[in-house]
Amino acid sequence: MSAAHERRAAITGIGVVAPNGTSTDTFWKATQEGLSALDRITREGCEHLPLKVAGEVRDFEPAAVIEERFLVQTDRFTHYAMAAADLALDDARLGKADSETAPYSIGVVTAAGSGGGEFGQRELQRLWGKGSRFVGPYQSIAWFYAASTGQISIRRGFKGPCSVVAADEAGGLDALAHAARAVKRGTDAIVAGSTEAPLAPYSMVCQLGYEELSTVAEPDRAYRPFTDAACGFVPAEGGAMVVVEADDAARARGAEVRGFVAGHAATFTGASRWAESREGLAQAVRAALDDAGCAPEEVDVVFADALGVPEADRAEALAIADVLGAHGRRVPVTAPKTGTGRGYCAAPVLDTAAAVLAMEHGLIPPTPNVHDTVHDLDLVTGRARPAELRTALVLSRGLMGSNSALVLRHAATDRA
Amino acid sequence: MSPITVEELAGLMKQAAGVSVAPQDLQQQYDSGFDALGIDSLGLLGIVGELENRHGTSMPPDAERCKTPRQFLDLVNSTLMAGA
Repeated sequence: MSAAHERRAAITGIGVVAPNGTSTDTFWKATQEGLSALDRITREGCEHLPLKVAGEVRDFEPAAVIEERFLVQTDRFTHYAMAAADLALDDARLGKADSETAPYSIGVVTAAGSGGGEFGQRELQRLWGKGSRFVGPYQSIAWFYAASTGQISIRRGFKGPCSVVAADEAGGLDALAHAARAVKRGTDAIVAGSTEAPLAPYSMVCQLGYEELSTVAEPDRAYRPFTDAACGFVPAEGGAMVVVEADDAARARGAEVRGFVAGHAATFTGASRWAESREGLAQAVRAALDDAGCAPEEVDVVFADALGVPEADRAEALAIADVLGAHGRRVPVTAPKTGTGRGYCAAPVLDTAAAVLAMEHGLIPPTPNVHDTVHDLDLVTGRARPAELRTALVLSRGLMGSNSALVLRHAATDRA
Repeated sequence: MSPITVEELAGLMKQAAGVSVAPQDLQQQYDSGFDALGIDSLGLLGIVGELENRHGTSMPPDAERCKTPRQFLDLVNSTLMAGA
Protein backbone atom coordinates (compact mmCIF):
# COMPACT_ATOMS: atom_id res chain seq x y z
CA MET A 1 0.00 0.00 0.00
CA SER A 2 1.30 3.40 -0.90
CA ALA A 3 -1.61 5.54 0.14
CA ALA A 4 -0.55 9.15 0.39
CA HIS A 5 -3.08 9.76 3.11
CA GLU A 6 -4.73 7.70 5.80
CA ARG A 7 -7.52 5.56 4.45
CA ARG A 8 -11.03 6.67 5.30
CA ALA A 9 -13.67 4.11 6.20
CA ALA A 10 -16.55 4.57 3.79
CA ILE A 11 -19.96 2.92 3.88
CA THR A 12 -20.64 1.59 0.39
CA GLY A 13 -23.53 -0.78 1.01
CA ILE A 14 -26.49 -1.08 3.37
CA GLY A 15 -28.60 -4.19 3.96
CA VAL A 16 -31.60 -4.12 6.29
CA VAL A 17 -33.88 -6.88 7.53
CA ALA A 18 -36.03 -5.07 10.09
CA PRO A 19 -39.53 -5.19 11.57
CA ASN A 20 -40.54 -2.22 9.41
CA GLY A 21 -38.94 -3.44 6.19
CA THR A 22 -36.96 -6.36 4.80
CA SER A 23 -35.09 -4.31 2.25
CA THR A 24 -33.25 -1.05 2.65
CA ASP A 25 -35.83 0.77 0.51
CA THR A 26 -38.86 -0.44 2.43
CA PHE A 27 -37.07 0.22 5.73
CA TRP A 28 -36.31 3.80 4.75
CA LYS A 29 -39.82 4.42 3.45
CA ALA A 30 -41.37 3.23 6.72
CA THR A 31 -38.73 5.04 8.79
CA GLN A 32 -39.09 8.42 7.11
CA GLU A 33 -42.87 8.14 7.24
CA GLY A 34 -42.69 7.39 10.94
CA LEU A 35 -44.68 4.17 10.65
CA SER A 36 -44.60 1.93 13.69
CA ALA A 37 -44.14 -1.81 13.25
CA LEU A 38 -44.59 -2.53 16.94
CA ASP A 39 -47.30 -5.07 17.54
CA ARG A 40 -48.44 -7.87 19.78
CA ILE A 41 -46.01 -10.77 19.81
CA THR A 42 -47.38 -13.67 17.76
CA ARG A 43 -44.51 -16.13 18.03
CA GLU A 44 -45.56 -19.63 19.06
CA GLY A 45 -45.05 -20.48 22.71
CA CYS A 46 -44.84 -16.84 23.78
CA GLU A 47 -48.53 -16.12 24.32
CA HIS A 48 -48.51 -16.61 28.09
CA LEU A 49 -45.45 -14.45 28.81
CA PRO A 50 -45.83 -10.99 30.35
CA LEU A 51 -43.85 -9.38 27.52
CA LYS A 52 -46.57 -8.56 25.00
CA VAL A 53 -45.25 -6.10 22.43
CA ALA A 54 -42.17 -6.21 20.23
CA GLY A 55 -40.90 -5.55 16.72
CA GLU A 56 -41.27 -8.84 14.84
CA VAL A 57 -39.83 -9.35 11.38
CA ARG A 58 -42.83 -10.81 9.57
CA ASP A 59 -42.13 -10.26 5.91
CA PHE A 60 -39.16 -12.61 5.65
CA GLU A 61 -38.95 -16.16 4.31
CA PRO A 62 -35.44 -17.52 5.04
CA ALA A 63 -35.74 -20.42 2.56
CA ALA A 64 -36.33 -17.95 -0.25
CA VAL A 65 -32.92 -16.33 0.19
CA ILE A 66 -30.64 -18.79 2.06
CA GLU A 67 -29.51 -22.22 0.89
CA GLU A 68 -30.92 -25.12 2.90
CA ARG A 69 -27.55 -26.41 4.04
CA PHE A 70 -26.92 -23.03 5.74
CA LEU A 71 -30.45 -22.92 7.15
CA VAL A 72 -30.22 -26.28 8.93
CA GLN A 73 -27.11 -25.28 10.81
CA THR A 74 -28.10 -21.77 11.86
CA ASP A 75 -30.50 -19.91 14.12
CA ARG A 76 -32.89 -17.22 13.00
CA PHE A 77 -30.44 -14.49 14.08
CA THR A 78 -27.93 -15.83 11.56
CA HIS A 79 -30.60 -16.12 8.84
CA TYR A 80 -31.17 -12.38 9.26
CA ALA A 81 -27.42 -11.76 9.20
CA MET A 82 -26.80 -13.74 6.01
CA ALA A 83 -29.75 -12.08 4.29
CA ALA A 84 -28.75 -8.57 5.41
CA ALA A 85 -25.14 -9.22 4.35
CA ASP A 86 -26.31 -10.25 0.88
CA LEU A 87 -28.38 -7.07 0.60
CA ALA A 88 -25.45 -4.92 1.73
CA LEU A 89 -23.02 -6.61 -0.66
CA ASP A 90 -25.48 -6.28 -3.56
CA ASP A 91 -25.95 -2.63 -2.68
CA ALA A 92 -22.17 -2.15 -2.69
CA ARG A 93 -21.92 -4.15 -5.93
CA LEU A 94 -19.36 -6.42 -4.31
CA GLY A 95 -19.93 -9.75 -5.97
CA LYS A 96 -18.54 -13.24 -6.12
CA ALA A 97 -15.93 -12.20 -8.65
CA ASP A 98 -14.44 -9.67 -6.21
CA SER A 99 -14.13 -12.13 -3.33
CA GLU A 100 -12.82 -14.92 -5.54
CA THR A 101 -10.13 -12.67 -6.93
CA ALA A 102 -9.04 -11.37 -3.52
CA PRO A 103 -10.67 -13.41 -0.71
CA TYR A 104 -8.33 -11.99 1.95
CA SER A 105 -9.36 -8.44 1.16
CA ILE A 106 -12.84 -8.86 2.67
CA GLY A 107 -13.63 -9.66 6.31
CA VAL A 108 -16.68 -9.85 8.57
CA VAL A 109 -17.45 -8.26 11.95
CA THR A 110 -20.73 -8.78 13.76
CA ALA A 111 -21.99 -7.97 17.22
CA ALA A 112 -24.41 -10.20 19.10
CA GLY A 113 -26.10 -9.76 22.42
CA SER A 114 -27.91 -13.05 22.71
CA GLY A 115 -26.92 -15.58 20.05
CA GLY A 116 -29.19 -18.31 18.76
CA GLY A 117 -31.74 -18.83 21.53
CA GLU A 118 -34.44 -20.47 19.43
CA PHE A 119 -32.13 -23.11 17.96
CA GLY A 120 -30.63 -23.72 21.38
CA GLN A 121 -34.03 -24.15 22.99
CA ARG A 122 -35.06 -26.75 20.41
CA GLU A 123 -31.91 -28.80 20.95
CA LEU A 124 -32.05 -28.53 24.74
CA GLN A 125 -35.64 -29.73 24.63
CA ARG A 126 -34.40 -32.76 22.71
CA LEU A 127 -31.70 -33.28 25.31
CA TRP A 128 -34.16 -33.37 28.21
CA GLY A 129 -37.02 -34.94 26.28
CA LYS A 130 -35.23 -37.70 24.39
CA GLY A 131 -31.61 -37.80 25.50
CA SER A 132 -28.19 -36.57 24.47
CA ARG A 133 -28.12 -38.77 21.36
CA PHE A 134 -30.89 -36.67 19.89
CA VAL A 135 -29.07 -33.34 20.11
CA GLY A 136 -27.89 -32.32 16.65
CA PRO A 137 -24.19 -31.49 16.20
CA TYR A 138 -24.98 -28.02 14.84
CA GLN A 139 -26.06 -27.05 18.34
CA SER A 140 -22.33 -26.67 18.96
CA ILE A 141 -22.17 -23.67 16.64
CA ALA A 142 -25.66 -22.32 15.96
CA TRP A 143 -26.41 -20.80 19.36
CA PHE A 144 -23.02 -19.14 19.61
CA TYR A 145 -22.56 -15.37 19.40
CA ALA A 146 -19.92 -15.86 16.72
CA ALA A 147 -22.17 -17.88 14.40
CA SER A 148 -23.19 -15.04 12.11
CA THR A 149 -19.66 -13.85 11.44
CA GLY A 150 -18.51 -17.40 10.72
CA GLN A 151 -21.41 -18.32 8.47
CA ILE A 152 -21.22 -15.12 6.42
CA SER A 153 -17.50 -15.69 5.98
CA ILE A 154 -17.95 -19.34 4.93
CA ARG A 155 -20.95 -18.75 2.72
CA ARG A 156 -19.43 -15.84 0.83
CA GLY A 157 -15.83 -17.05 0.87
CA PHE A 158 -14.46 -14.06 2.77
CA LYS A 159 -11.07 -14.83 4.29
CA GLY A 160 -10.09 -11.39 5.55
CA PRO A 161 -10.04 -10.49 9.25
CA CYS A 162 -13.17 -11.76 10.99
CA SER A 163 -14.31 -11.02 14.50
CA VAL A 164 -17.26 -10.79 16.84
CA VAL A 165 -18.17 -8.24 19.46
CA ALA A 166 -20.07 -10.11 22.17
CA ALA A 167 -21.59 -7.24 24.07
CA ASP A 168 -24.58 -5.21 25.00
CA GLU A 169 -26.53 -3.04 22.60
CA ALA A 170 -23.65 -0.58 22.24
CA GLY A 171 -21.61 -3.43 20.74
CA GLY A 172 -23.37 -2.76 17.45
CA LEU A 173 -21.53 0.55 17.16
CA ASP A 174 -18.31 -1.02 18.43
CA ALA A 175 -18.51 -3.57 15.59
CA LEU A 176 -18.76 -0.78 13.02
CA ALA A 177 -15.80 0.97 14.61
CA HIS A 178 -13.84 -2.28 14.61
CA ALA A 179 -14.61 -2.63 10.91
CA ALA A 180 -13.41 0.93 10.27
CA ARG A 181 -10.14 0.19 12.07
CA ALA A 182 -9.61 -3.01 10.05
CA VAL A 183 -10.11 -1.02 6.87
CA LYS A 184 -7.63 1.64 7.97
CA ARG A 185 -5.12 -1.09 8.77
CA GLY A 186 -5.27 -2.36 5.21
CA THR A 187 -8.25 -4.67 4.60
CA ASP A 188 -10.25 -3.37 1.65
CA ALA A 189 -13.73 -4.13 2.94
CA ILE A 190 -15.51 -5.47 6.01
CA VAL A 191 -19.11 -6.63 6.11
CA ALA A 192 -20.16 -5.34 9.51
CA GLY A 193 -23.24 -5.01 11.65
CA SER A 194 -25.61 -6.94 13.82
CA THR A 195 -28.82 -8.90 13.72
CA GLU A 196 -30.64 -10.46 16.65
CA ALA A 197 -33.53 -12.86 17.18
CA PRO A 198 -34.65 -12.50 20.80
CA LEU A 199 -38.32 -13.35 20.21
CA ALA A 200 -38.63 -17.01 21.12
CA PRO A 201 -39.83 -18.48 24.43
CA TYR A 202 -36.46 -19.19 26.03
CA SER A 203 -34.96 -15.92 24.82
CA MET A 204 -37.94 -13.95 26.02
CA VAL A 205 -37.86 -15.51 29.47
CA CYS A 206 -34.21 -14.46 29.70
CA GLN A 207 -35.26 -10.86 29.12
CA LEU A 208 -38.04 -10.82 31.70
CA GLY A 209 -35.53 -10.04 34.41
CA TYR A 210 -34.64 -6.70 32.82
CA GLU A 211 -36.31 -4.04 34.89
CA GLU A 212 -36.10 -1.71 31.86
CA LEU A 213 -38.36 -3.99 29.79
CA SER A 214 -41.81 -2.64 28.99
CA THR A 215 -44.68 -5.04 29.61
CA VAL A 216 -47.31 -2.59 28.41
CA ALA A 217 -49.66 -4.47 26.07
CA GLU A 218 -50.73 -1.62 23.76
CA PRO A 219 -48.33 -1.34 20.81
CA ASP A 220 -48.64 2.45 20.54
CA ARG A 221 -48.01 2.97 24.26
CA ALA A 222 -45.37 0.37 25.06
CA TYR A 223 -42.22 2.31 24.08
CA ARG A 224 -42.31 6.08 24.42
CA PRO A 225 -38.92 7.42 25.46
CA PHE A 226 -38.43 11.06 26.47
CA THR A 227 -42.12 11.41 27.41
CA ASP A 228 -43.78 11.49 30.80
CA ALA A 229 -45.31 8.14 29.82
CA ALA A 230 -41.94 6.44 29.36
CA CYS A 231 -42.35 2.88 30.64
CA GLY A 232 -39.31 1.02 29.38
CA PHE A 233 -38.34 -0.44 26.02
CA VAL A 234 -39.67 -3.19 23.81
CA PRO A 235 -37.33 -5.64 22.08
CA ALA A 236 -37.01 -6.28 18.36
CA GLU A 237 -35.52 -8.78 16.00
CA GLY A 238 -33.69 -8.37 12.70
CA GLY A 239 -31.02 -5.76 12.11
CA ALA A 240 -28.64 -4.46 9.51
CA MET A 241 -25.30 -5.14 7.90
CA VAL A 242 -23.22 -2.57 6.07
CA VAL A 243 -20.16 -2.73 3.86
CA VAL A 244 -17.39 -0.65 5.40
CA GLU A 245 -14.79 -0.10 2.71
CA ALA A 246 -11.59 1.84 2.29
CA ASP A 247 -12.40 4.97 0.31
CA ASP A 248 -9.50 4.36 -2.07
CA ALA A 249 -10.62 0.75 -2.68
CA ALA A 250 -14.17 1.93 -3.29
CA ARG A 251 -13.05 4.59 -5.73
CA ALA A 252 -10.74 2.16 -7.52
CA ARG A 253 -13.67 -0.09 -8.36
CA GLY A 254 -16.05 2.78 -9.07
CA ALA A 255 -18.29 2.11 -6.08
CA GLU A 256 -20.52 4.80 -4.66
CA VAL A 257 -19.58 6.08 -1.20
CA ARG A 258 -22.73 6.55 0.87
CA GLY A 259 -21.15 7.97 3.99
CA PHE A 260 -18.10 7.77 6.24
CA VAL A 261 -17.52 6.21 9.64
CA ALA A 262 -15.62 9.17 11.01
CA GLY A 263 -15.24 8.64 14.75
CA HIS A 264 -16.11 6.34 17.62
CA ALA A 265 -15.57 5.90 21.31
CA ALA A 266 -16.95 3.67 24.04
CA THR A 267 -17.14 3.84 27.82
CA PHE A 268 -18.54 1.67 30.59
CA THR A 269 -20.55 2.82 33.59
CA GLY A 270 -22.14 -0.36 34.98
CA ALA A 271 -25.36 -2.30 34.58
CA SER A 272 -28.58 -0.28 34.95
CA ARG A 273 -26.74 2.65 36.54
CA TRP A 274 -28.54 5.11 34.34
CA ALA A 275 -27.68 8.29 36.24
CA GLU A 276 -23.99 7.45 35.78
CA SER A 277 -24.54 6.81 32.08
CA ARG A 278 -24.80 10.61 31.69
CA GLU A 279 -21.10 10.99 32.31
CA GLY A 280 -20.19 7.81 30.41
CA LEU A 281 -22.20 8.71 27.35
CA ALA A 282 -20.91 12.30 27.39
CA GLN A 283 -17.34 11.05 27.54
CA ALA A 284 -18.00 8.64 24.64
CA VAL A 285 -19.43 11.49 22.57
CA ARG A 286 -16.49 13.79 23.38
CA ALA A 287 -13.96 11.15 22.43
CA ALA A 288 -15.85 10.14 19.28
CA LEU A 289 -16.03 13.77 18.12
CA ASP A 290 -12.33 14.12 18.86
CA ASP A 291 -11.62 10.93 16.90
CA ALA A 292 -13.57 12.40 13.97
CA GLY A 293 -11.93 15.82 14.21
CA CYS A 294 -15.43 17.19 14.56
CA ALA A 295 -16.50 20.23 16.58
CA PRO A 296 -19.69 19.83 18.66
CA GLU A 297 -21.47 22.51 16.60
CA GLU A 298 -20.92 20.46 13.44
CA VAL A 299 -23.32 17.75 14.61
CA ASP A 300 -26.46 18.12 12.49
CA VAL A 301 -28.57 15.32 13.94
CA VAL A 302 -28.45 12.95 16.90
CA PHE A 303 -29.88 9.43 16.72
CA ALA A 304 -30.59 8.88 20.39
CA ASP A 305 -30.30 5.70 22.41
CA ALA A 306 -33.79 6.47 23.78
CA LEU A 307 -34.13 3.68 26.32
CA GLY A 308 -37.55 4.79 27.51
CA VAL A 309 -36.70 4.65 31.21
CA PRO A 310 -37.18 8.12 32.75
CA GLU A 311 -33.85 8.15 34.58
CA ALA A 312 -32.00 6.92 31.49
CA ASP A 313 -33.77 9.38 29.19
CA ARG A 314 -32.86 12.23 31.52
CA ALA A 315 -29.22 11.09 31.60
CA GLU A 316 -29.09 10.97 27.82
CA ALA A 317 -30.65 14.41 27.38
CA LEU A 318 -28.17 15.83 29.91
CA ALA A 319 -25.24 14.06 28.25
CA ILE A 320 -26.14 15.64 24.91
CA ALA A 321 -26.30 19.06 26.60
CA ASP A 322 -23.06 18.42 28.49
CA VAL A 323 -21.09 17.87 25.30
CA LEU A 324 -22.89 19.98 22.71
CA GLY A 325 -23.62 22.91 25.05
CA ALA A 326 -26.17 25.40 23.72
CA HIS A 327 -26.06 23.55 20.39
CA GLY A 328 -27.45 20.53 22.25
CA ARG A 329 -30.78 22.28 22.70
CA ARG A 330 -30.98 23.20 19.00
CA VAL A 331 -29.69 20.08 17.30
CA PRO A 332 -32.48 17.82 16.06
CA VAL A 333 -32.68 14.56 18.01
CA THR A 334 -34.56 11.54 16.75
CA ALA A 335 -35.25 7.96 17.78
CA PRO A 336 -36.79 6.03 14.89
CA LYS A 337 -36.33 2.85 16.93
CA THR A 338 -39.62 3.65 18.70
CA GLY A 339 -41.19 2.30 15.52
CA THR A 340 -39.19 -0.90 15.40
CA GLY A 341 -38.25 -1.70 18.99
CA ARG A 342 -34.74 -2.23 20.25
CA GLY A 343 -32.96 -5.11 18.60
CA TYR A 344 -30.19 -5.11 21.22
CA CYS A 345 -26.85 -4.94 19.32
CA ALA A 346 -28.78 -4.52 16.09
CA ALA A 347 -30.54 -1.36 17.28
CA PRO A 348 -27.65 1.10 16.81
CA VAL A 349 -26.71 -0.52 13.50
CA LEU A 350 -30.24 0.11 12.22
CA ASP A 351 -29.84 3.68 13.51
CA THR A 352 -26.59 3.94 11.58
CA ALA A 353 -28.35 2.75 8.41
CA ALA A 354 -31.10 5.29 9.04
CA ALA A 355 -28.53 8.03 9.66
CA VAL A 356 -26.72 7.39 6.37
CA LEU A 357 -30.05 7.33 4.52
CA ALA A 358 -31.13 10.51 6.33
CA MET A 359 -27.94 12.30 5.21
CA GLU A 360 -28.47 11.10 1.63
CA HIS A 361 -32.09 12.24 1.54
CA GLY A 362 -31.65 15.40 3.62
CA LEU A 363 -34.49 14.22 5.81
CA ILE A 364 -34.57 13.48 9.54
CA PRO A 365 -36.99 10.63 10.26
CA PRO A 366 -39.36 11.13 13.19
CA THR A 367 -39.84 9.27 16.46
CA PRO A 368 -43.01 7.13 16.09
CA ASN A 369 -45.50 6.98 18.97
CA VAL A 370 -43.83 9.96 20.65
CA HIS A 371 -45.69 13.26 20.45
CA ASP A 372 -43.93 15.51 22.94
CA THR A 373 -40.97 15.41 25.28
CA VAL A 374 -40.43 16.36 28.88
CA HIS A 375 -36.71 16.95 28.26
CA ASP A 376 -34.89 19.96 26.88
CA LEU A 377 -34.38 18.43 23.45
CA ASP A 378 -35.48 19.29 19.93
CA LEU A 379 -37.00 15.86 19.40
CA VAL A 380 -38.24 15.21 15.86
CA THR A 381 -41.78 13.86 16.14
CA GLY A 382 -44.78 13.52 13.86
CA ARG A 383 -43.26 13.82 10.43
CA ALA A 384 -39.80 13.79 8.90
CA ARG A 385 -37.96 17.11 8.96
CA PRO A 386 -35.98 18.30 5.92
CA ALA A 387 -32.45 19.40 6.82
CA GLU A 388 -29.02 19.57 5.28
CA LEU A 389 -27.14 16.85 7.13
CA ARG A 390 -23.38 16.54 6.90
CA THR A 391 -22.64 14.97 10.28
CA ALA A 392 -24.74 12.53 12.28
CA LEU A 393 -24.11 11.28 15.81
CA VAL A 394 -25.45 7.84 16.77
CA LEU A 395 -25.71 6.97 20.46
CA SER A 396 -26.15 3.62 22.11
CA ARG A 397 -26.20 2.25 25.63
CA GLY A 398 -26.45 -1.31 26.81
CA LEU A 399 -28.37 -2.68 29.74
CA MET A 400 -25.09 -4.03 31.10
CA GLY A 401 -23.49 -0.60 31.16
CA SER A 402 -21.75 0.04 27.83
CA ASN A 403 -22.01 3.47 26.22
CA SER A 404 -20.92 4.12 22.64
CA ALA A 405 -21.00 7.02 20.21
CA LEU A 406 -20.41 6.89 16.47
CA VAL A 407 -19.85 9.92 14.23
CA LEU A 408 -20.92 9.57 10.60
CA ARG A 409 -20.12 12.03 7.84
CA HIS A 410 -21.99 12.64 4.61
CA ALA A 411 -20.47 11.13 1.47
CA ALA A 412 -19.73 14.60 0.09
CA THR A 413 -17.50 15.55 3.04
CA ASP A 414 -14.21 14.91 1.29
CA ARG A 415 -11.07 15.82 3.07
CA ALA A 416 -9.56 19.07 1.85
CA MET B 1 -30.89 -56.35 9.18
CA SER B 2 -30.88 -54.74 5.76
CA PRO B 3 -27.97 -52.53 4.74
CA ILE B 4 -28.17 -48.75 4.44
CA THR B 5 -28.93 -47.89 0.84
CA VAL B 6 -27.87 -44.94 -1.25
CA GLU B 7 -31.47 -43.75 -1.05
CA GLU B 8 -31.36 -43.77 2.74
CA LEU B 9 -28.05 -41.92 2.76
CA ALA B 10 -29.43 -39.29 0.39
CA GLY B 11 -32.40 -38.83 2.75
CA LEU B 12 -30.10 -38.48 5.74
CA MET B 13 -27.94 -35.92 3.94
CA LYS B 14 -31.03 -33.84 3.32
CA GLN B 15 -32.39 -34.21 6.83
CA ALA B 16 -29.19 -33.77 8.83
CA ALA B 17 -27.21 -31.42 6.63
CA GLY B 18 -29.71 -29.76 4.31
CA VAL B 19 -27.94 -31.10 1.22
CA SER B 20 -30.22 -32.32 -1.56
CA VAL B 21 -28.69 -34.90 -3.88
CA ALA B 22 -30.81 -37.34 -5.89
CA PRO B 23 -29.90 -40.97 -5.08
CA GLN B 24 -28.85 -41.67 -8.68
CA ASP B 25 -26.56 -38.63 -8.62
CA LEU B 26 -25.13 -39.73 -5.29
CA GLN B 27 -24.47 -43.13 -6.85
CA GLN B 28 -22.45 -41.37 -9.54
CA GLN B 29 -20.59 -39.32 -6.93
CA TYR B 30 -19.84 -42.37 -4.83
CA ASP B 31 -16.16 -41.54 -4.60
CA SER B 32 -16.51 -37.77 -4.36
CA GLY B 33 -15.57 -36.19 -1.07
CA PHE B 34 -18.38 -35.35 1.32
CA ASP B 35 -16.94 -31.84 1.36
CA ALA B 36 -17.50 -31.51 -2.38
CA LEU B 37 -21.10 -32.58 -1.82
CA GLY B 38 -21.53 -29.81 0.76
CA ILE B 39 -21.40 -32.04 3.86
CA ASP B 40 -19.09 -30.69 6.53
CA SER B 41 -17.76 -32.65 9.50
CA LEU B 42 -20.70 -31.68 11.75
CA GLY B 43 -23.12 -32.69 9.00
CA LEU B 44 -21.55 -36.14 8.80
CA LEU B 45 -21.61 -36.40 12.58
CA GLY B 46 -25.35 -35.64 12.46
CA ILE B 47 -25.86 -38.38 9.87
CA VAL B 48 -23.99 -40.86 12.08
CA GLY B 49 -26.06 -39.85 15.11
CA GLU B 50 -29.32 -40.28 13.22
CA LEU B 51 -28.26 -43.74 11.98
CA GLU B 52 -27.33 -44.76 15.52
CA ASN B 53 -30.71 -43.65 16.81
CA ARG B 54 -32.60 -45.40 14.01
CA HIS B 55 -30.75 -48.67 14.38
CA GLY B 56 -30.22 -48.58 18.12
CA THR B 57 -26.57 -49.38 17.74
CA SER B 58 -23.27 -47.51 17.95
CA MET B 59 -21.23 -46.79 14.86
CA PRO B 60 -17.45 -47.05 14.99
CA PRO B 61 -15.62 -43.74 15.63
CA ASP B 62 -14.20 -43.89 12.11
CA ALA B 63 -17.69 -43.48 10.61
CA GLU B 64 -17.62 -39.72 11.10
CA ARG B 65 -14.15 -39.55 9.57
CA CYS B 66 -15.11 -41.18 6.26
CA LYS B 67 -14.27 -39.04 3.28
CA THR B 68 -16.65 -40.45 0.65
CA PRO B 69 -20.13 -42.01 0.44
CA ARG B 70 -18.57 -45.33 -0.63
CA GLN B 71 -16.23 -45.44 2.39
CA PHE B 72 -19.08 -44.46 4.67
CA LEU B 73 -21.61 -47.01 3.42
CA ASP B 74 -18.99 -49.78 3.40
CA LEU B 75 -18.09 -49.05 7.01
CA VAL B 76 -21.57 -48.59 8.47
CA ASN B 77 -22.99 -51.55 6.57
CA SER B 78 -20.21 -53.87 7.68
CA THR B 79 -20.86 -52.68 11.25
CA LEU B 80 -24.60 -53.27 10.96
CA MET B 81 -24.11 -56.67 9.32
CA ALA B 82 -21.65 -57.73 12.00
CA GLY B 83 -24.16 -56.81 14.70
CA ALA B 84 -27.11 -58.44 12.93
